[in-house]
Amino acid sequence: MRRVSVTPVRVAGAGLLAAAIAMMLSAAVAVVDGGGGAKGLTVSALLTGLVGLALFFGSQVSPTADSALAFASVAWSWLAVSLAGSLPFVLTGVIPWGQFDNALFESISGFTCSGSTILSNFESVPQGVLFYRSLTQWLGGMGLVVLAVAVLPALGIGGLDLIASEAPGPTADRLTLRVRDTARQLWLLYGVMTGIVALVLLTIGMSIFDAVTHAFTTVSTGGFSPHAESIAYFDSFPIELVLMVGMLFSGASFSIHWHALRQGIGAYRRVSEVRWYLTLICCAFGMLVWVNLGELGWLQNLRESLFYAVSLGSNTGFGNSDFVLWMPAAHLVLLVLMLVGGMSGSTAGGMKVLRLQVVFKYAFRELMRARHPNSVIPIRLGRTTIEEQIAAKVVGFVMLYLGLIVVGGVILSGLGVDLVTAFSGSASALGNVGPALGEAGPTSNFLVFPRAGRIVLMAMMALGRLELFPAMLMLVASLRGLDQSRQRRDRERSQ
Amino acid sequence: MTPRSPVRGAGSALVRRLTLWIRHFSLKLQRYGAHGRFESAIGVTVGAVWLGITPLFLLCAVVDYFDGGPDAAALLLSGAAIAFAGVVALWLSEFPSALPLKRLFAALVCGVLAALVAATAAHFVTGVASTVDSSLAEGAATITGTNSSTVNPEQLSLGMLLFRAFGQWLASAGLIVVLVRIAPHLGVGGLDADGGVSTRSARRLAPKSGSTMVRLMLLYVSLTVGLLGAYSLAGMPFVDSVVHCLTTVSSGGFSSRSGSIGAFNSGAIEWVAIVGMVIAGTSLPLIFRAFRRGDLHRFARSVEFRTYIGLIVTAVFAALAWSGNWPKADDVRETIFAVTSAVSTTGFVVRDLNSISYGAEAVLLVLMVIGGMSASVAGGFTVMRLMVVSSYIGRELRRSIHPATVEKIHLGKSSIGEVALARIIGELFLSAAIILPLALVLSSDGLNFEAALSFAISALSNVGFAFGLNGPEEHLRTLGTLGHLAAASLMLVGRISVTPLLVTLGGLGEPMQRDIRRWRLTRHDKAVR
Repeated sequence: MRRVSVTPVRVAGAGLLAAAIAMMLSAAVAVVDGGGGAKGLTVSALLTGLVGLALFFGSQVSPTADSALAFASVAWSWLAVSLAGSLPFVLTGVIPWGQFDNALFESISGFTCSGSTILSNFESVPQGVLFYRSLTQWLGGMGLVVLAVAVLPALGIGGLDLIASEAPGPTADRLTLRVRDTARQLWLLYGVMTGIVALVLLTIGMSIFDAVTHAFTTVSTGGFSPHAESIAYFDSFPIELVLMVGMLFSGASFSIHWHALRQGIGAYRRVSEVRWYLTLICCAFGMLVWVNLGELGWLQNLRESLFYAVSLGSNTGFGNSDFVLWMPAAHLVLLVLMLVGGMSGSTAGGMKVLRLQVVFKYAFRELMRARHPNSVIPIRLGRTTIEEQIAAKVVGFVMLYLGLIVVGGVILSGLGVDLVTAFSGSASALGNVGPALGEAGPTSNFLVFPRAGRIVLMAMMALGRLELFPAMLMLVASLRGLDQSRQRRDRERSQ
Repeated sequence: MTPRSPVRGAGSALVRRLTLWIRHFSLKLQRYGAHGRFESAIGVTVGAVWLGITPLFLLCAVVDYFDGGPDAAALLLSGAAIAFAGVVALWLSEFPSALPLKRLFAALVCGVLAALVAATAAHFVTGVASTVDSSLAEGAATITGTNSSTVNPEQLSLGMLLFRAFGQWLASAGLIVVLVRIAPHLGVGGLDADGGVSTRSARRLAPKSGSTMVRLMLLYVSLTVGLLGAYSLAGMPFVDSVVHCLTTVSSGGFSSRSGSIGAFNSGAIEWVAIVGMVIAGTSLPLIFRAFRRGDLHRFARSVEFRTYIGLIVTAVFAALAWSGNWPKADDVRETIFAVTSAVSTTGFVVRDLNSISYGAEAVLLVLMVIGGMSASVAGGFTVMRLMVVSSYIGRELRRSIHPATVEKIHLGKSSIGEVALARIIGELFLSAAIILPLALVLSSDGLNFEAALSFAISALSNVGFAFGLNGPEEHLRTLGTLGHLAAASLMLVGRISVTPLLVTLGGLGEPMQRDIRRWRLTRHDKAVR
């Protein structure tokens, strides 16, 4: 059999295979539950699996692989998986075929760990589909490609570039000598943490289904819940406490967790990003408590403020109340949390604490340089000096990130959405948070946006999860690939 | 040996700092005893500003007296007090023989604060604003050219109406002086906000900065007179024409009517205002060069001007397209008016902004952030900086594909140096860092989320109108003391720029920072040993 040497096709095939397995698992859950949806999920799994197999075995990795191609491969695989991931919603009848874009929205929201939903009547959705929703977030959290690198030696593609292109944050740490081992270690830690959260939730009174689905969406910082009221459905502080610990853990870098497991708790103390992450959440908590002082009772204020500081600080998006009813100043604090997000190398979205640090130090350096024009001031994070090129890249990223939020907000406003909902929805989508402010709060859904607006949000969620540059490179590398193949064809013809 | 605790270190540093201050002050007193004057650029600047602003008080008092208004005596009194303070400041201080850059900027910032004190005094003494905080907000709006007010202009006396309008006009004239005479000097040391990019064009107007300034001031006065004639011809009463020509050309935005330009209900007046606002947002050196040689192609050749006009045209089309109805002639004119008002940061309004679409609101908000061209009297981030930032993002995107690429950023034919680039980006982030806490204060002081954020942006860009409340100019009236202080701070920061202000303020704590750094180094050395 002749194989096409196109790396993105092979990586997309691997991603589809992983998605097909997730659909089969969900079908099994649907069978056990007996609430329907098993047939639709099985058909989706078969269709996705077949296409995945065809793509995977019909292609091979290009001999000339570079960073741009790795980035493009990941971006294309995400696109393919999101498209296939919408099949279960339409094939089970949860979303009609005529609203395929809504199914795609739900799928993209799942795989990108956003947690924004267009579902309104959760009681009528089969448990298999609800399980599948949570599973999409779990798979998307650590990354399908990282999973593929970890478990599929036949993928035949390695290199840190591939992991870096999917890892949230400006850099990817090599935990072990072999990249495949790094991917395995990350997934192992991720799986173990999910298991622990599920077990603890089960112990304190959640049903198995709720415990597992919430563990999936907590560790992936996705924020999907099988209940319309999100965590407020349980109205239990112990459950909220467990979820807060889970969210706090998942909003921090998994590489640092890995180092902490090996070297002890001191590993956390050595990283300045951890201090910034915790300080940011603590400050947000303090400000929320201060702003809500006269509005909520003391205990309720502490409980809700802490929960939202952690939930939005880790960009998970779980809700234990309706923060839309809070004071306007609290909304501003929540918006800042949405923008910043968790740590680099975590499953959280947002622009990342590390980037905030770099940008802060960059601005401070310029302030110092303005006073002492001849000074040479390096940008330091803890004891590490950041190279100028990386700092420039981070600064460029942050400006592009903020610019995209503004562009998204303007487009959504133009489509008839009020300013607060539009701009916060844009920030929420790009940061993969889930709930927004205004009409798209935690107890509402994204049907408040018009159809065209939801397409804009889908694009923003994908851009946010792929951290902008890979998504941009997807087009560049693909165009370059097309150009190269055209040149090759022309050369062959002329010979 | 164990290192000293940071608390003890900081405490001793504070004691040392206090001792230094006392010593420094006693040295100054000794020098004063010897020469009879303090060597202080701040004192000279503050004195000059106070003395320079006195004729305005006098003029407005005289006008108010002949108009039979109630504020003549109060204006005369406050003017006399300001003049006296100015004379005392000038009498006590002399310009230092050597002036480090940081002192020059401190003098500049203190000059602005002196103008703020004078404008605040006028508002408070005349009783236009009943409290000190609202007087401060009114004063800040006057000297920064922001159309934000707690008072109804139709209830103001003629004297105060002229004081406010002339205040905005003079503030912009002062900005031209700073642009030509001071900013290039600061640019040498890198103290201006954008590394001298905006002042570069102004510096090449004439061999001497003095003659450049005279030319630009003549242009400014000519434009004002031209607008006065245009407004009068369009049917605006004379006094209103005087007020509006002053606040249009300075991009200030104060009006003599509570409905702003919309109160005249005249298409011709609105078109005159539109042209005036576009001019106010255009680079003054560019206008000067184009008109002096009759070479109007200069406008077309300027990449920044093309972008500026492109922004206006795009925004108008977007706002009309999103309005939901097929636009009539009046709608087109009103949309152009709103767009030019926002981008030139003038802040005039013709209709209730609550009736415009959400899309148009968003567009106006973005335009407020961008502002006018560099080297113009408009506020905002400026079009030039937006272009530089866009090019920077593009370069970083290209670098992510080709990491070894070395690429310079160009604006038209001139390239932007890395220092200027870093300064612009730093300024952007510092502005964001300033706006968030102050918006938090505004929202905790009674504004809803949309109103707080849009007003914070509007105040920082020195526009004035905002969204989220019943009227576009209700925001300052809704706020309390804390909100007034926050709004005044935003307006000042928007006019002076964040970097210079923070550099000036940062200098206060520098010896302390030095001590802490020294203590850290000592601790590190001991640890190594």
